[in-house]
Amino acid sequence: MKTSVTCKKAIDLISKKEEGKITLWQRFQLWKHFAECSLCKLFNIQNKTIVDALPYIQHDISEPLSAEEKKEIVDNSIHTK
Amino acid sequence: MQSEKKFTTWVEDYSDILFGYLLKHGLPKEIARDILQETFLAAWRNMDSFRAEASVKNWLFVILKNKITDHYRKLANKVSENSIDLDTVGEHFFDNSDHWNKGAYPQNFKGNFESPVETKEFYKLLRTCGNRLKEIQNAVFSMKYIEGLSSEEICKELNISSSNYWVLIHRAKLQLRACLQKNWMEN
Repeated sequence: MKTSVTCKKAIDLISKKEEGKITLWQRFQLWKHFAECSLCKLFNIQNKTIVDALPYIQHDISEPLSAEEKKEIVDNSIHTK
Repeated sequence: MQSEKKFTTWVEDYSDILFGYLLKHGLPKEIARDILQETFLAAWRNMDSFRAEASVKNWLFVILKNKITDHYRKLANKVSENSIDLDTVGEHFFDNSDHWNKGAYPQNFKGNFESPVETKEFYKLLRTCGNRLKEIQNAVFSMKYIEGLSSEEICKELNISSSNYWVLIHRAKLQLRACLQKNWMEN
């Protein structure tokens, strides 16, 4: 069986690993790839930083709708046939 | 007249919370406004079926979530129709032998995220970069990393195949990381 994978495949495996969807063999392939490829190794570290931060993103929810916008919603609803 | 008054109160009381929910899920503002409007339109048309003993808020959320699903499915259909586009995943990032293109080499981010200021900046950039993703990618990302849904649940919700799902995730990750690197370098 092939022990080496391409960078593109390695990036794909990183995502699948997150969801526990890789085999033991693929895990080994990924480990081996990281040992040989500093670019993918760095990608893996940075990806983890990003993925860990994502749940804490605060979207722009501070701005409430204006009275006009609310009125428009009411009017559009009531007057649409 | 009575029902108009009641409906106006619903809009006044719940539109902010519904709108906030849409934005939190990564929907662009314009789209969020449209979905909010559709939700209230549906609520107005179906006011008769609303049972007084139920919670208005919960009822509106059920409608809202259905509208979000409809919206996502429309997006996902476009992706399925555009399968050629999916074959070119990562073409700017990788060369013909599927190794990194020189111009796309991952490099260290300029900032470390130790200090509170840097962290704040990082989140701001992450949000900006997330908004630059295609809407369907952003949708998949929000469902996966913010709502914590599994890939199976997301595929079902969006009505997309498992291979399309992985392609969307794969590409979004590459783009998001590249965007962060570029902006941290330039700032």
